[in-house]
Amino acid sequence: MTALLSKLIDRFVETAIDDETVVMDMDSAEFFSLNQTAGAVWRLIDGTRGRDAIVAKLAADYGVKAATIAAEVDEVLGKFREAGFIGG
Amino acid sequence: MALMRHEMRISYGPVGDTIGEVKVEPGTWHMKGDELLLRASGLAMRYRKGHGVTIEHDPGVRSSEEQLYLNGTVYAAAACINGFYPLHASAVAWNGGVHAFTGPAGAGKSTLVAALGSAGLPMFCDDTLILDLSDPAVPLALPGHKRLKLTDEALALTGAEAQEQVDDEIEKFYALPAGGDWQAPLPLRQLIFLEGGDRTETLPISGAEKIARLSDDHYTAELFLWANDMNIAHRFAAQSRLARQIAMVRLVRPWDTGQFTASVTLARELIFAQAIQP
Repeated sequence: MTALLSKLIDRFVETAIDDETVVMDMDSAEFFSLNQTAGAVWRLIDGTRGRDAIVAKLAADYGVKAATIAAEVDEVLGKFREAGFIGG
Repeated sequence: MALMRHEMRISYGPVGDTIGEVKVEPGTWHMKGDELLLRASGLAMRYRKGHGVTIEHDPGVRSSEEQLYLNGTVYAAAACINGFYPLHASAVAWNGGVHAFTGPAGAGKSTLVAALGSAGLPMFCDDTLILDLSDPAVPLALPGHKRLKLTDEALALTGAEAQEQVDDEIEKFYALPAGGDWQAPLPLRQLIFLEGGDRTETLPISGAEKIARLSDDHYTAELFLWANDMNIAHRFAAQSRLARQIAMVRLVRPWDTGQFTASVTLARELIFAQAIQP
């Protein structure tokens, strides 16, 4: 089991515009538009799931094998970590 | 608008060169709390909420230069300090809503608004559009505060009525838009970004690009940030809300007067497509 992932809510603000999730870094004022995969991962980070659970949930939702999407999820989680938006 | 008229009352006298602990150099401005100090060559203006604008200028400073700062940066700053959200835009009113054109200086905002006046759309404002965001459901636009100014070429293109020259050194004339001007607040419906390009066309804007473009709204987005204690989350919230509540589109056109009529036609189509039908 992987560590539970949480959003570091004092590091960003987010909004939804035209079905896009937009997240702004509170330090730099840079903002990021999340694509479909990143948005789906983002919505699943709620403090109750770790990386493996997120991969499993997305695999079930999209009807694909976990191994098929794991690399993409890892890449997205890496970017969220790099931006300082998540911990765990 | 009564509030802004009251806040923009003018007196003349010493302005000083500091605001708080900060010395403001010529060619710059600084905002602190509910106060702005702007200094230009031979000219300085201090706005303080509830006290209006104090102006100090050297002899020989042109009235038009004073008006430029007063109606531009100082007006937009006063709007921000009083809780409004300014956009660098000119606008027309149509069918119960405001349709605004934004772009850098020289993008043709005033000329387009004047031309739409000839098509029966009254001018709502020129160059600075003030929004009242106090009602979460409706971004309310407040009608304009200054006179339309056009070049000879723009007068000929638009059919606006020329009045006196702005001053001897400026090749612009005050003008009356053929469609008159609108005097009451209205909801903002649409923001149209003017750009140069090879051909006349409209291109959609959606999602994060809406916020990016609002953040790139020249000096007004920066003034809003300064007036709100550099609170970027507050600005992001205001921009996000505008992005959700109003339509945004790019109007691309060549910088060629021969193509001007086509761009006016396209602008009218955009407005009519977004107008609420009675």
